[in-house]
Amino acid sequence: MTQFRRRDFLKSSAAAALAGSSTFGALGRAFAADPVNFFAWSAGVDQVKAHVSAFEAKTGIKVSYGNAPWAQYRDTLVTKFVGKAPLDTLWVSDAWLPEWAEAGWLAPIDGYPQLTKYNSDVDDFSTKSMMWKGKQYGLTYYTDYMAFFYDEGMLQKAGIGAPPKTWDEVVQQSLKIKKAGLSEYPLMLSMARETWLIEFLSSLVFSHGGRFVDDAGAAVMQDKKKGAHEALTWIVNAVQKHKIVSPACVEIGELNGLKSFTSGQHAFAMLGRYRVRTLNDPKQSSIAGRVKQAMMPAGPNGKHATVGWNRFYGLTTAAAKDKAKAADTVKLIEWFGGKADGQYAFQKLMFLDVGSGFATKPLFKDPDIIKAYNQYSDIKMYEAQQKLAQKKDVVSPWFGEWDEVNGTAFQAAVIGKASVEDALKRSADTWNKLRRRA
Amino acid sequence: MSIRAGALRGVFGAPVSRYDQASAMWLLAPMLGVLLVVAVFPVLYSFWISLFDLRLTRPHRVPFVWFENYQEIFQDELFWQSVWRTTSFTLICVAAIMVIALAMALLLNEEFRGRRFLSAMLLVPWAIPYVANGLMWKWIYDSGYGALNGLLFQLDFIDKYMVWLGDQHKTLWLIANAFIWKEVPLATILVLVGLKSIPADLYSAARVDGANTWRRFVHITLPALRPSFMLVVIYETMMAIRHFDLFFILTEGGPAEASHVLAWHVYVETFRKLSFGTGSALAYIMALVTFFLAFWLIRTLGRKL
Repeated sequence: MTQFRRRDFLKSSAAAALAGSSTFGALGRAFAADPVNFFAWSAGVDQVKAHVSAFEAKTGIKVSYGNAPWAQYRDTLVTKFVGKAPLDTLWVSDAWLPEWAEAGWLAPIDGYPQLTKYNSDVDDFSTKSMMWKGKQYGLTYYTDYMAFFYDEGMLQKAGIGAPPKTWDEVVQQSLKIKKAGLSEYPLMLSMARETWLIEFLSSLVFSHGGRFVDDAGAAVMQDKKKGAHEALTWIVNAVQKHKIVSPACVEIGELNGLKSFTSGQHAFAMLGRYRVRTLNDPKQSSIAGRVKQAMMPAGPNGKHATVGWNRFYGLTTAAAKDKAKAADTVKLIEWFGGKADGQYAFQKLMFLDVGSGFATKPLFKDPDIIKAYNQYSDIKMYEAQQKLAQKKDVVSPWFGEWDEVNGTAFQAAVIGKASVEDALKRSADTWNKLRRRA
Repeated sequence: MSIRAGALRGVFGAPVSRYDQASAMWLLAPMLGVLLVVAVFPVLYSFWISLFDLRLTRPHRVPFVWFENYQEIFQDELFWQSVWRTTSFTLICVAAIMVIALAMALLLNEEFRGRRFLSAMLLVPWAIPYVANGLMWKWIYDSGYGALNGLLFQLDFIDKYMVWLGDQHKTLWLIANAFIWKEVPLATILVLVGLKSIPADLYSAARVDGANTWRRFVHITLPALRPSFMLVVIYETMMAIRHFDLFFILTEGGPAEASHVLAWHVYVETFRKLSFGTGSALAYIMALVTFFLAFWLIRTLGRKL
């Protein structure tokens, strides 16, 4: 047996190294360079991976992609930031922006015109949702709003020709449906304590022409003239007086609400706009084909406004500090949140594959999107309602803490444990206390 | 192969005596080290943290506030409400578990057809993880499609579906019911072990003396079961005070704080508000209360044994 000597080993190693460097030279940069660390919640994972691969192939920049479930996302990311884990870009919810920006974890993108140039294509409320203290912190990944849906078949059976335009009409039509024995609780409202609750409450307040806080950031929710009082009174009456909303609404989360509506138990529902795809899918809904979207009913002083939310690509401060890393990261953000190969490829992909909404106005004119959406809903209604969407006015560094109390206060009013005045006073007092402390 | 003590050498080469404390300490040192790192240090460190206004989302400003967190907690109305709810929940659960476990144990202590099968079935709730148990009860209690409403409706006890977890007056009772269902099997086994250990001679002698079933139960069974009762009371009290899973899965403290217990309060402060200073202080208060309660129970009940 021939012995493999130390000298032979060194020679062959050197030869292998030389061969490797020439053979894999093209891949050298991708594997040797520090990757761009991209973290997201576990939505559209296959689509993200495919788009990342296309980016790597196009630019030679390596991307390290990781994800965590939505429910644990905020905690996971805060822990990562505190622990200084490698993070360059990530999906951010508008609700966390002030908190993370104030903590110094996110960097503004105003200095990158290759990103801000897309603002002119994006709905105003969506861009505003990415701003904190006058600076923009990202590029939109997904945008949507709270929508008002109705079961056209049930309305026809009750002899109702058109959906309600005001909250008063919602009551009148619901009572008619109830009287006809078509539904015990015609309006489905999800009021369980979860992250969705503030979206439902905000849309009810905005559609009543109301605000939680004024432009200066002071609480106005307790003011009887500012809409929130009117909105909460309407909810309380709907549950306790008219009995058109189930008293169980305080234990019904968004997902259970969706299931309840798809089972045909209700005539009206407030749900995220993107849910219309499920609502009109015969495999998932017993009322498929009958669900239509209407403009959010208006309160006496309201104008069909609703709440919109935004999820976006944020740039971390750590990445922004390193010029080379920042340049690579900005390219990745643009690839996802802006145009890739001349089109809004990722937003379109996410819309067509999973139904995620977008704030990029040119996509409303995209023939593929129009064709796909009109199969289960009405693109014009989608666009018209989105124009009236408003960003949540309560998003602040103390939003999470306040939201805990506010959700509880609204629930207390709904179940009759507290009066509307007391509930809103508690919410306002908490807001002001947290604001002072900050 | 047997090893003679004299053949062993201590850590410094000296022969090991069976009573050599120093060598024993050296051998135990690695485990003590592990315990120091994973148990003692976190406990002491969390106390240290409780003296700071530490919010994870405000990393640049972490002031040392002495006992301000504790002071704030004691001034917080919600804290006292959660203490009261935790106390109610614990009393309801422990009392119900004791009564049901005793009844079940007495039943299983008798000879009858199917006893073994019933004993095996009894273990099923105990074997189900708490999260699965919570999800199961969520389905049962659901006001729209829950099994409880379905059953009561079919039996004509109700004419329309009821609100269960969404009703502030029922919530705590319903969560207690789910907790009791899960905990009764273990308590039954502990009581049953106590029952099996009572000498049959005592009952024979009592029968000879003319004692009826009730008197035999009161004067023989119950006193003999004291050790088992003590174990069950202490264990279940600790479990009920610290219980979190069902509150998280079934109600998230709602509706409108109707099930906002102490363990939930700790969770909200620590993991929702990410206020680690207050969360640590709350956890310390809870740990101290639990410790002193256990100490008191052991002393009080133990003295009567």
